[in-house]
Order: sequence, then structure tokens, then C-alpha cells
Amino acid sequence: MAPLGRFFCIAALTAILAGCGMPARESGGRGSSPRAFKPIDDTAVLFWDRQTLETADLITQIANEYNARHQGLPVKVEHLGDYTDINRKLSVSIQARELPAMAVGYDSMTAEYVQAGAAVPLDEYMNDPEIGLTEADRADFFPGVLTTSTNTAFGGLTYSFPFTKSVLVMYFNKQLLKSAGIDAPPKTWNEFLKQCRHVKEKTGQFGYAVDVDCSTIDGMIYSRGGELVRGAESLFDQPASIAVFEFLETLAREKLAFQIQPGTFDDRDEFTQDRVAFFFRTSSLRPYVAAMMAQEPDGWGIAMIPQSNPHAPVTVLYGGNIGIFQSTPEQQRIAWGFIKYFTSAEVSVRWALGSGYLPLRKSAADHPEMQAFFNQWEYNRAAYDCLPYARPEPSIAGWQEVRTLVERAGSQVMSGLKTGGQAAMDLKQEANRVLAAAQ
Amino acid sequence: MDLRTVSPWTTGYALLAAVLFLLGLAAHRPLLKRADRLLEAIDARIERIRGPRARSAAAAFLLLSPALAILGLFGVVPLAYAVRISLFDTRRDAFVGMGNYLRAWGDPEFWRSLTVTLYYALGTIPLALVTSFCIAWLLYRVVRGQGFLRTAYFLPYVTSAVAAATVWRVLLRPRSGFVNVMLDALGLPMQDWLLEQRGVLHILTQGWIPPGVGPSLALCCIMAFDVWHVSGFMIVIFLAALTAIPRELMEAAVLDGAGQLQVLRRVVLPLLSPTIFFLTVVSAIKSFQSFNSFYALTNTSRSVDTQNLVIYIFAQLYESQRYGYGAAVATLLCAAIVALTIAQWRYVGRRVHYE
Repeated sequence: MAPLGRFFCIAALTAILAGCGMPARESGGRGSSPRAFKPIDDTAVLFWDRQTLETADLITQIANEYNARHQGLPVKVEHLGDYTDINRKLSVSIQARELPAMAVGYDSMTAEYVQAGAAVPLDEYMNDPEIGLTEADRADFFPGVLTTSTNTAFGGLTYSFPFTKSVLVMYFNKQLLKSAGIDAPPKTWNEFLKQCRHVKEKTGQFGYAVDVDCSTIDGMIYSRGGELVRGAESLFDQPASIAVFEFLETLAREKLAFQIQPGTFDDRDEFTQDRVAFFFRTSSLRPYVAAMMAQEPDGWGIAMIPQSNPHAPVTVLYGGNIGIFQSTPEQQRIAWGFIKYFTSAEVSVRWALGSGYLPLRKSAADHPEMQAFFNQWEYNRAAYDCLPYARPEPSIAGWQEVRTLVERAGSQVMSGLKTGGQAAMDLKQEANRVLAAAQ
Repeated sequence: MDLRTVSPWTTGYALLAAVLFLLGLAAHRPLLKRADRLLEAIDARIERIRGPRARSAAAAFLLLSPALAILGLFGVVPLAYAVRISLFDTRRDAFVGMGNYLRAWGDPEFWRSLTVTLYYALGTIPLALVTSFCIAWLLYRVVRGQGFLRTAYFLPYVTSAVAAATVWRVLLRPRSGFVNVMLDALGLPMQDWLLEQRGVLHILTQGWIPPGVGPSLALCCIMAFDVWHVSGFMIVIFLAALTAIPRELMEAAVLDGAGQLQVLRRVVLPLLSPTIFFLTVVSAIKSFQSFNSFYALTNTSRSVDTQNLVIYIFAQLYESQRYGYGAAVATLLCAAIVALTIAQWRYVGRRVHYE
């Protein structure tokens, strides 16, 4: 063997022995002191947001108003795509040890930032007598909304704050249902299936355009009385979860539903062209559907997703939270000031009216402008009425990766590659493996 | 001054000024003379080196050094860094040696991604080569409108892959896409195209072959897109090579009684073998590195049947934040490409007929 080849062989063998024979040597990370991070921008309080179009303008406008009110560095909003895009960018920033002052994200993403030592606990700011939340503030938030971001896995500390919240709802096409001889939207999953069959039979159109999204599947499991995790163990092998995947299998087999391409709004587009009776999405999509259905405002509606037990409904609390990252004490303090300003009752009303997201405070919901909006159209308050029944999705480390597995399982069932039961059992095993590795 | 606050316009003007300044310097006579003197001095130093081989090597190294510096900085250094982090569990900042490589060995998703990559390479390379050659051969023989046809066939290649893929995505929408509307109008069943995870063999044999066998219909759509997209480049290369073949050789073969197919088989193809070899090597490398079409057409790593190795690496890096493991798979991919290229040179390169 050539000397160079011999050298590489010996080097590889040494590396194998070093990796396999010894326990991993840690030099920081979990459990150790937070690693040194610095702000990406030290001339402004950088905020990575996910809004687009009008809502992006509105959030920038609110940030500018806040900048005019406070002393110190200005808040600079950067709109960087969706939550996944921001998550990718943040994960790279964590590796580069340079972070924005704040960013939006799901709580499952926040768990990863906490593990990396990049997220700042908000409790210190929330409890500060000068700049924190008063008792009246805390009581003003809807029950559950504030506590959803308290992460028990990280010592009961709060690492993110509710920011742009919405709920999973069902959009139904009244026109198409009427053509199928149906007067009211379904309240149970059995009714939903029957109505899909009626629509297919009477109109030839599909009942449901499926966006195979993890939150939708989670909502379906919740609405059947199921749970997703217990500790770090997934519960996809439980009857509620199996029933959801079998339900998707039935819809696909009977050609009552079709899958849309991920990352598109084909379900909304088909719906507004009267080619599908139902789709499930976030309530914040309402203004966009309303704009597309402007010609026939009475041709559609919004309702709570079907349930196994309509007397104890459950849906998913959607939307992003906002987190503060390791930067400088000044930047962190200004970031908290912005969060507090954005979630104040007055701004909350403006945001809810301008964006389609839900008001998070009772005082905002009771505001005359909000009440006028609720009374404007019969379904304007449908999402708001779902809020007391909305539950967040798991925020444990590793859940973000499990989301992809859930969507993969749903897609395999819709494609006919796996049966519902088989997909649920396989998902259980894969999710458990991912969750165990992430803890 | 904080460079991050500089506007793009200012940056543009600064770059333009820098380019103009460099051009001015290049045209500056005294400077040119000084550069000439420097080159002469280097030449003289090389001349003093003993032995023609050493002299030639020194000159070659000197000429190659700028390119080597760029390659080293942007190619070798990142690769070495990737190899370094592949030996770590970056989530825990822990050294794991070959642990990430062993993990890949035992990871079924890695093997599934490798299989998808191989299906893709085997599906696209021969198809693209044959299609491009046939079109190039027809274009070579067409007398009128050759320029227009060449441009038309080259157009997909100069179109942005992401933009073109977005249009394909719309065409292949499950319900209202143009392709399905056409199928429906013809009385044929609509397909899920990019969402269809069942094997194309399963669909064609109406369930006789199990759904998990062979490439999925979604993967075949990606292959079709890439064949369409890359053919323009191959056609141009084939046309250039065909034009370089002396016409007398073909005419002599015809005079000797050879038919069109015999001319093609006995004269044209042997003379095109260096071109075919070049395109095969380049296509093999590109097919193992393919990312744009996969990502733009599927927009996700949701389906394992359209997840090639590069998408798998991307998912490990940016969705699961496993930088060490992702770097290990990237290193393995790089090694596989190098091995494949060497094998092609050794075993296929020998059969190439150079004039």
C-alpha cells in the first residue's frame, strides 16, 4: 500500500476507535453555562418576523410607533419567510453565535433554542415591578393563552410570549353544501364523512381538500379525545390517533378528498371556486378567503372543526410566539418593551382587525371596534368563540422533527402507500426514537 | 462605519468605481511596464532552476497558483471543515469520531435517500443523453430554421430552474393543473403527480407490482423535469461535436454503401465518444448533487420517495439541526462522487475513441 493510503487508513482507524471506544466528550451545550452569543446588529434591536404583504406593513408600522415612544435603539423588523425559514436561519445563527434580539416561532422550535442556550427566560422581565406585567394584565389575558408558553421541561420558565395567535377552524362552502341538500355544517366526524359522500354523489365535487399539515392532524386527534404525547413518549398508537389516520384512508379510498401540494393554498383556491366543500386551516386565513369570496359573502362560513363529542370541543391553538435571544441587556430590555407594547389591549385590537389573528386579551375582545367587527358578519366571531377550547401543540424538544414525520405519515396514507393503522403504528415508533434522542 | 447599514446602491457604485479603477490601472503604461519587468524577473528566476522538469513544474505551479488559491479557499477549506465537524455531535459539542458515519450506515433513511439518488441518476442520465443526441442529430440534418430551433431547445437550460419548476408545479397540480385537465378531457384518470408516492411500476401494472417497488411517480416527474431542463445544454454540446466531424468521412461511408444507421453507428457515434463520455461524467456528478429541482418541485422533505441524498443532508442540517451528522453524509456523498468519477475514467474512459 502506498504511504499516503497507509496514513489515511491509520487516521480513519484512530478516529473510529476514538469515537466508538470512548464516551462522547462534551465541551458545553445542555446543562452547562450559556455559550457566548452576540447580536447580529448592534445598531438596532433586530426582530425576525414571518408576516407578509399588508400584515407585514402593519407590524412594521407598530414597531415604528414603539420606536417613537421609547429611548434607545430602534426595533428593526425583518420579514424572513415562514416559521420554518426563520427556524432554519436561527439554527444557523446559533452555530455562528450571532443572534437577532427577538424572533417568532412555534414553541417546539423554542425548545431547541433553549437547549442551545440561545433563548432568554422572560420571567425576569414579566415579573419586573417597573416594566413587567401587573396582576390586572395577567388576568386580562384569556385563560391558558399566557401559560401555554411556560415550559415545564425547562424548569417551569417562560421562554416565549403569545404573539400572533389563531385557532384551527373548518371553512365550509355553503353553496356546494346547499347543492348537495345540506343545510348546516357537520358537528361530528361521522356527519362530516356523510356530508362528503353527499357532496360527491350530488355534485361530483370533492368533499375535502387536504393540506397534510401536522397541526391539522393534531387538531383531529384532539377533537377525537386523543393526546399526542405523555412526557417524551408519543401516543400515536392510541385509538384517537389510529382513527384519524383510518379516517384519512377512508376519504382517500372513496375519493372524497384529495391532497394538495405542500406549501400552497390550493385548498383555499379550490374552495373559492366552489370545487370543494371543506378545508381546515388557521383562522387567520379568514381575510384572504373573504377577499376571494367577496362576490358571494353568504356562500361560505367558518365553524369549529368536527368533534367526537361536540359537547366538549377541542381544537388547536395555532400561531407563533415570540422569544427573546441572548444579545445585550439593553437589546433584551427593549425587545421585552416591544412585546409588551404589541400585546397591549389597544394594539391588540388594531392587530386583530388588520390581520385576522385573535385578540389575546379580554379587554381587546370587549373593545367597541372589535365588537362592531364581530357583529358585521355572522362568522366573524366563530374563531374567537373557539378560543376557549383551543389547546397548544406539544412544545418538547424534538417535536419539530416529529411534525415532519406526522406529515409524512398522513401523506403516505393519502397516497395509499400505507393503511391508517400501519401508518399510526410506524409513526409511533419513529416519533419515539426522535423524541428520545432529543431529550 | 458599519458596513451592514450601507445601502445596496452605494455598494453597487463602490463596486463600479473599483472596476473602473482597476481598468484604469490596467491601461496605465508605467504600471504595465513595471508588471512586465516583474514577469521578466520571475522568468529569469525560473530559468535559473536546474533541470528542465523542475523548471517546467515551477512555471506550471506559478501559473496555476491563482486558481489553486481560489479552489483551496472556496473548495478545500470548506470540505476540510465539513470533515472536521462530521466528527462531532454539534448538538452537544461532543467529539464522536466516526460515530456519525456509523450512524449513517445503520440509518434506513440514508439508504432510502441513496436509492432515490441512484434511481434519479439511472433515470435521467441515459434518457437525457439519448433524447439530446436524437434532437441534436435531427437539428444537424435540418437545413432551414436551424438557428431558431437551436435557440428554442436551448431556452429551458437558460431558464432559472426554480422558476421553471414553479411553472411545472402549477401544471402538475393534483386537481386543476393543466396536465390533469387534459387527461380528464381525454377520458383518462387524473394523477396526483408530485404527491404520488406509489411506484410508477405499481401504477402502470395496475397493482400487480407492490407500491414500494421502483421509483415513485413523483420522482419520475422530477426526472422528466430535469431531462427537459438539461437537454438544451447537451444538445448544444452534441451539435458542436457533430459539426466538428469531417463531412468527408460520412460521405465516404455512404459511397461505400453504408446506410444512414450504419453511418450513425460506425462513423458518428465512435467520433462522438469523447463528447458522450464528457457529458456522462458531468451528468453523473450533477445528478448526485441535484437539489434545485427536488426542492422547488416538492418544497419539502416530507416524502421519502422524493428525498435524494442532498435533500436528506439539507433536512439534517436545517430541519433537525444535526450539523455533524449532515456533514458526515455530505462527506460520504463527496467520496461517492469522487469514486464514481474515478471509476468512469478508468473503466469507460478507456473505450473512448479520440481522433
